[in-house]
Amino acid sequence: MFRHNFWYSLKILFRSKALIFWTFAFPLILGTFFYMAFRDIEKNEKLDVIDIAIVDNEEFKNKQDLVTTFEGLSKGDNKLFNISYVSLEHASSMLSNNEISGYLLVTDEENKIIVKENGVNQTIFKYVLEEIDTTKRIVNDIVANSTKEFTDYENIYQNAIKLYNESEANIEDISTTNLSYTMIEFYTLIAMTCLYGGILGMTAINKCLANMSSVGKRVAVSALSKLKIVLSSLCASYIVQLIGLFLLLIFTIFVLKVDYGPHIFKVILLSVVGSLAGLSLGLMLGAVFKVKENTKLGLVISFTMLGCFLSGMMGITMKYMVDKNVPIVNKLNPANMITDGFYSLYYYDTFNRFYFNIVSLLIFAFLMIFIAFISLRRERYDSI
Amino acid sequence: MTVFKAFLKVLNKNKSPIILYTVILICFGAFNFQTNDKSISFVADKPDVYIMNNDEEEGITKNLVNYLKDNSNIVELDEERLDDALFYRDVNYIVYIPKNYRNDFLNGKNPTIEVKSTTDAQASFEEMLLERYLKVANTLQGIYQDEEELIREINEVLETETSIELDSKVDVSSLAKATFFYNFLSYSMLAGVIYVICLIISSFNSRNVRKRIIISSMNYKKHNRILLLSNLLFAFTLWLIYVIMSIILCGKVIFTSGGIIYLVNSLLFTIMSVTLALLISTIVNNKDAINGIVNVVALGSSFLCGAFVPVEYLPSFIIKIAHILPSYWFINTNETVKYLEVFNFNSLKPVIINMGMLVFFSILFIILNSIISKRKQIID
Amino acid sequence: MKKIIEVKNLTKAYKKLKAVDDLSLEVYEGEILGLLGPNGSGKSTTINCILSLISFNKGNIKIFGKTIKPDSYDIKKDIGVIFQEVAVFEELTVYENIDYFCGLYIKDKEKRKTYVDDAINLVGLQEFMTFYPKQLSGGLLRRLNIACGIAHKPKLIFLDEPTVAVDPQSRNNILDGIKKLRDNGATIVYTTHYMEEVEILCDRIIILDKGKILANGTSDELKELANIEEKVTVEVENLKESTIEKIKEFKTVDEVEFSNNVLIVTYKKGKNNLVELIDFLKDEKVVYNKIFSERPTLNDVFLELTGKELRD
Repeated sequence: MFRHNFWYSLKILFRSKALIFWTFAFPLILGTFFYMAFRDIEKNEKLDVIDIAIVDNEEFKNKQDLVTTFEGLSKGDNKLFNISYVSLEHASSMLSNNEISGYLLVTDEENKIIVKENGVNQTIFKYVLEEIDTTKRIVNDIVANSTKEFTDYENIYQNAIKLYNESEANIEDISTTNLSYTMIEFYTLIAMTCLYGGILGMTAINKCLANMSSVGKRVAVSALSKLKIVLSSLCASYIVQLIGLFLLLIFTIFVLKVDYGPHIFKVILLSVVGSLAGLSLGLMLGAVFKVKENTKLGLVISFTMLGCFLSGMMGITMKYMVDKNVPIVNKLNPANMITDGFYSLYYYDTFNRFYFNIVSLLIFAFLMIFIAFISLRRERYDSI
Repeated sequence: MTVFKAFLKVLNKNKSPIILYTVILICFGAFNFQTNDKSISFVADKPDVYIMNNDEEEGITKNLVNYLKDNSNIVELDEERLDDALFYRDVNYIVYIPKNYRNDFLNGKNPTIEVKSTTDAQASFEEMLLERYLKVANTLQGIYQDEEELIREINEVLETETSIELDSKVDVSSLAKATFFYNFLSYSMLAGVIYVICLIISSFNSRNVRKRIIISSMNYKKHNRILLLSNLLFAFTLWLIYVIMSIILCGKVIFTSGGIIYLVNSLLFTIMSVTLALLISTIVNNKDAINGIVNVVALGSSFLCGAFVPVEYLPSFIIKIAHILPSYWFINTNETVKYLEVFNFNSLKPVIINMGMLVFFSILFIILNSIISKRKQIID
Repeated sequence: MKKIIEVKNLTKAYKKLKAVDDLSLEVYEGEILGLLGPNGSGKSTTINCILSLISFNKGNIKIFGKTIKPDSYDIKKDIGVIFQEVAVFEELTVYENIDYFCGLYIKDKEKRKTYVDDAINLVGLQEFMTFYPKQLSGGLLRRLNIACGIAHKPKLIFLDEPTVAVDPQSRNNILDGIKKLRDNGATIVYTTHYMEEVEILCDRIIILDKGKILANGTSDELKELANIEEKVTVEVENLKESTIEKIKEFKTVDEVEFSNNVLIVTYKKGKNNLVELIDFLKDEKVVYNKIFSERPTLNDVFLELTGKELRD
């Protein structure tokens, strides 16, 4: 009879359209939106070719070092600038139309950059001008300290430039390559789906309890033990939940190209444990609160959305701010335990943090189940 | 009056989603305004850097640290949370100065400096700065033997200041706030209006209630007109609330000519939302389905049209798709106003085109609505 | 006769309100017992206590001779319950619903199949097996509700107002079904506030009010309590005050009412009352159109016992 109730619970869950929408379709749709919106966000933050203009007056043309430097920087694969050589009026109108980040105006007194707003593009423009000054100065410095005869000036000069250009800055980048923070969005999506699974658990438990629904009354007077009924219903909702979750995982991996890091079995472990946490949340809310089913649904959804908000779904900085300033909030937030678990698998090489999250989720789940079963142990109600 | 009263009663029953969408709007607005506060006067946009100095802070090591401090924004961080900070872009660049850097450097060993980088534009710029310093320092190290002299020479070579001029009369930062607010408003408005109007119409349209209305002594057409007016009144009230919120959050910029464009634009968008909501309510009769549809429509157009993620960050093919959505034209106007300096026919042309598109969509939805509802009547 | 249910001194109180007050009753094998009482009289509460769904303050309940507890699954196996509200799954078809609830009792698949078919035939839902509950009319839904409760062929069946808001055709179908169940050997406890149903259906009737038993017996035994033999209604065209006074002085007459040209005469006892009255009216030259006599109803019994009507 365990199997009888299990199969029928599966049937009932799969046939409720609203449930299937929220636990299966909605995460897929939201994930697709995330993918479309966030796809290029990090690419845009990389250093791009900067559009600038240079006022090509006589003063500019006379400064040979400027001309060659900018020419060099606007050629080749690693070019830094797209340069338009135009008149002052044209440059000014280009700037006001946001076609360029800024323009260079060379006068006899100074080299001036005109910009409209401050940003990293403008700063790099400025840096390049400064770099020209620096090179000039260091070459002069080398030449001045040269022990060779003054007659061989050109040779010394070329040597000095070579010396400077060949001097090597010994920098080694030791950061990991997995730095894509938009992944957090997809991790919160998985967390959301895990916790939405609570809706399934709640529905399953509602139909077993005499004080929750009229079918529950019928089930309660039947010859099947309450424990069997509850357990088989929960098993069914867990299965449905896991099917939905794995569909989402497969979809995010193969279609949305979400990167979960190299440890696929740990990803599955986390999903399974995360779903359990969601299920137990639904079980607890279903068993303890005697309110309308719609109100309970609202409870699960608001709890989940609040949790996802705190773990970065609506702005990744949120998770960081909470982690940094009020870590206790996110240590108690199951949505964050799941998100943080995926994050630590993706970003860190060690597993301490991952296991900490797994254990936290298990503790959360067992706490919820414990509370639920205390409430379920009440075999007779005061009223229905 | 009776119809309107019934309308208010149904509205009152469904007030919680409206409050929810409004609260979300306020929260996001306030949260983003705080992180988005930059002044208008030009300050070189310095990268955020953390220095992990394992050497004594003396001599040439101290000089390197000072150079980094002068050229970037040094942040204080918990040493254990450095990796998190890097991932969440709280810091762009971390510099590890090795032990014995000073001695090794002075002995010409060119010690390795380890770094961690977010590889974005800020980090790339910081790397350029560091590279420049190290190249200069290495070059000069071969020339000057005395540490003090070396330091003086390095700093002399690096000391430069190019004159930079800020040429803009527009208060971009406060307009950026308003743009952000109004872009986000497209989500709250669309979600709120569609949700409420669909719920109310489906209540009035439920089989038995509709029969009762048709057989009542009130003209059915008149009844529908009042219902439409009530819906418009509701949307208008919602719009008014959001406008007042924008004045509180963004201040007097709303009363400039740019601000007026925001108001007109959002009013047109509100009307468009009402027509879309009516169309949806005609197509969908199932109350349970409304919640799902609202989320998909509102979230979809907000994500694809740049209400959440700035338009310039969206992939170009998404922007092309977005052209068929009204939200795109609404947001496009807001983005245009942000940089608008002069108000004449030429500069306002894109704004007028965008607004025209909103009107076009409204008319399109009304026509579709009447075609579909006529068909449905025949089937009934 | 074998006692199927034995309730002794049952008391159930919600805060200060006593929903069931020191109630004792017995149900015998093979009978249909009617629990009659107005809304809020404690009928449903009593049944919920018997089924061990809710806790009670005092008393003892035995079913099939054994005390029932929430986990007395061997007792529950032989009980079927049909609740007031329709309790079926929206997501399952008619057949699946019956099969699901039957499966909570009957493990064997083959046996279950014949049982489910029997239940469908009993309530007459053969043509609707693949329908979803949303597609059924109110009456059909009630029939499904009943089929779900009795498919496992229980020995004891509780029906809690199964005919509320049901069209006459479905109601007759339901009442016939209940009779068939009894004929197949089931014991039935039937609660309702429709006295007509109780009169047609029940072997024994218990009248409840404010959680207490007011009367217990067969329909005829209860009517004795009403203290009325006969009630005669006459439509008259002209009637003088003096005539009414004269009727009142008849030996067997208990009460005379006259309003809107309708004369109602209630007799406590005696025979040939109707003939006597017709003769008298003739003598008085009263013109009358319709005349009919009726036996007291359970409503009259209830009125007599509590001073209020069964239905408001």
